Amino acid sequence: MARQRAAGTAEFDVAIVGAGVVGTAIARELAQYDISILLLDGRDDVGDGTSKANTAILHTGYDMVTGSLEARLVRRGYELLKRHAAQVGVATEDTGALLVAWTSEEAELLPGILLRAAANGYTEAYLIDASEVYRREPKLGPGALAALVIPGEWIIDPWSTTLSYAVQAKLAGVEIQLGAKVDCIVAGSSMYRLHTSCGIFEASFLVNAAGVYADEVDAKLGLRDFVIYPRRGELIVFDKLARELLSCIILPVPTAMGKGVLVAPTIFGNVMLGPTAENRTDKSDTASSESGIELLRGKCAKILPDLLNEEITSIYAGLRAATDSSDYQIRAHRGQRCVTVGGIRSTGLTASMAIAEHVRDLLVQVGLVLGCASDLPAVHLPNLGEARQRPYQLDDLIGADALYGEIVCHCERVTRGEIRDALAGPIPPRSTGALARRTRAGLGRCQGFYCQAELTAIMQSGGVDRQ
Amino acid sequence: MKRSSVDVLIVGGGPAGLAAAIELRKVGARNVRVVEREASAGGVPRHSFHLGYGLRDRHQLLSGPAYARSYVGQCIELGVHVSTSTTAVEWCGDTALALTSAQGLEEVQARAVVLATGARERGRNARGVPGTRPAGIYTTGALQQAVYLYQQQIGARAVIVGAEHVSFSAVMTLGHAGVKTVAMVTREPAHQSYFALRWGTAIRYGYQLVTNAVVVEIAGSSRVEAVLVRMAAGDERRIECDTLVFTGDWVPDHELARRAGLALTHETKSPAVGTDGMTSRAGVYAIGNLVLPIKPADQCALEGRALARVIRMQI
Repeated sequence: MARQRAAGTAEFDVAIVGAGVVGTAIARELAQYDISILLLDGRDDVGDGTSKANTAILHTGYDMVTGSLEARLVRRGYELLKRHAAQVGVATEDTGALLVAWTSEEAELLPGILLRAAANGYTEAYLIDASEVYRREPKLGPGALAALVIPGEWIIDPWSTTLSYAVQAKLAGVEIQLGAKVDCIVAGSSMYRLHTSCGIFEASFLVNAAGVYADEVDAKLGLRDFVIYPRRGELIVFDKLARELLSCIILPVPTAMGKGVLVAPTIFGNVMLGPTAENRTDKSDTASSESGIELLRGKCAKILPDLLNEEITSIYAGLRAATDSSDYQIRAHRGQRCVTVGGIRSTGLTASMAIAEHVRDLLVQVGLVLGCASDLPAVHLPNLGEARQRPYQLDDLIGADALYGEIVCHCERVTRGEIRDALAGPIPPRSTGALARRTRAGLGRCQGFYCQAELTAIMQSGGVDRQ
Repeated sequence: MKRSSVDVLIVGGGPAGLAAAIELRKVGARNVRVVEREASAGGVPRHSFHLGYGLRDRHQLLSGPAYARSYVGQCIELGVHVSTSTTAVEWCGDTALALTSAQGLEEVQARAVVLATGARERGRNARGVPGTRPAGIYTTGALQQAVYLYQQQIGARAVIVGAEHVSFSAVMTLGHAGVKTVAMVTREPAHQSYFALRWGTAIRYGYQLVTNAVVVEIAGSSRVEAVLVRMAAGDERRIECDTLVFTGDWVPDHELARRAGLALTHETKSPAVGTDGMTSRAGVYAIGNLVLPIKPADQCALEGRALARVIRMQI
């Protein structure tokens, strides 16, 4: 278990800047050891930047650049996260994926992708012909020529993943400071002094897991290893009534810009379309655009035309941390006693626990003494996935606590009991968005027509009592 | 799990559902139950505080809440069993539904099921409006509840999207909350409400009606700062505001209808009904705004009454 910082000081063994899926995974990993740890983020919630706009797929790593750091960490992270998700109750679904070729040029690429999968250690993929594609996914648009089946690609609840890391870290003794923007970092001979909007903190070792801001945090340390280009990815989430249009993840043949536009079921029972990939300059600009939505609709018309007849539940954009390199940029800086974790793209969700192990080893290389490891406290998160039962469906649970029978968010069927639990959780939500990521409340098809006012009132009063 | 049976199970306690229940009791149906997922029955009029309700069914001019109360009161008088905070979550037979409430799960077998689940306004996502996702974005339904049921602070300057009847209701609600409406934007060439409503609210609240115009971007990081509006000629105009209300553009709340596999109308994906109000499944009926959004509350109530007489003949 992590040690508490010494009383009356602001000194830690390790400070981690950035509480996204990577930063929280690192905090959780280090929390097993006898060291004091600070996890900082400028935003008001964990996983409130790039991590919240992920495509939420548990990747096998079949298509990674063979021999790359990303390939190794995704492969290892896949196994680690699958096990962790099962242990802590993060919802996953073994949907599998079809990588569909729509042109003869794309069809010619499929055998090569199959070979690459094998080279990356993934041997369960196989090719199918057009008739088998349509037998599996009859609603696909016309023109599919063949596909690669990747049974190991799953869907996962991305928000609960980050939250589970953060909660486990916190319960193991990690100090979490949210809303703490790092203004400057002064590197002393044995200490980093971090001046933040929540005060000054000191740490012997530093981990930069600041996502799209990782290059800027590096610059505060005098490091210029890479530049991050925020790469915007826009996504459209369709109504739950569209879920029966497909059974697995539909992938395009990848291009240099990324994995391309996919159509996938979500763990919450919706259908997701996206992402676009567009290099931008403003790291805070997560606006969606008319052109992005048009592009996605155009792709959708070809891949799954019936989807366009369904209602749109949500449109949003996220920024991936792209660099000039196609690989992750994870570096230790000896003498500096710090590790930078940069260029983590959408695969970072899958790789997160393996990245954390890797960072732990790099910290040891630059002098961190870990001490004895002990087991992390067991945590169990509420299930937000549609594949398993949720509180409103559980008669015994409602019998024991009637608040689990009182639905507040009708579209997502979120009960007052679940909202109460989230408010009382180890890392309580500070906004309706944070509440939504813990419960799904307010994320449904009505977009707040029915529950927006009540959810706002609950967040303002901090309690679920009816007013 | 609890199991029960009723003669008629009505899903949705708005004007259509309540009026149907009342009339069913009047014409002699014994066991009539309404399930309403909100904490109180009455539907949208519960939070629509201006006058304009009850003309054709109550023959008086009432505010929304008074109108809703009159129906709820009559239900109680006539012995209609109204279960509030109770959600019909799924079908468990051709005319049987599973309910969830604080009392637990329950399966209700009915001789007839009436779907009166109403309609909702499309929000910014359903309309495909791009931009940021700041605070300060509402539908009329959400706005009315925030203002009248929760007394929440709204903002200072609002833009309203849409120019239907309900859009003018939003103008009045904003006025009540001390928010200045600066513009009403519609893609149509004119507003689609009464002349008197347009000019009455224009004189009182002094906003501009912008026609043939589409909101193409929402700007603002934590709070709405402006909307970008594209005119028919292609030129764009930025309107500064801190509040944005998406009004009208109704979509039926048809989840139960679709989960049942009922035949739907092509246009609105409402359940298709015959002249007797019956859907493609025997014993399942649909009325009110679920069938064709959007109608005034009193018209929905009159539909409910008429349907009640049909059902009475058939059960």
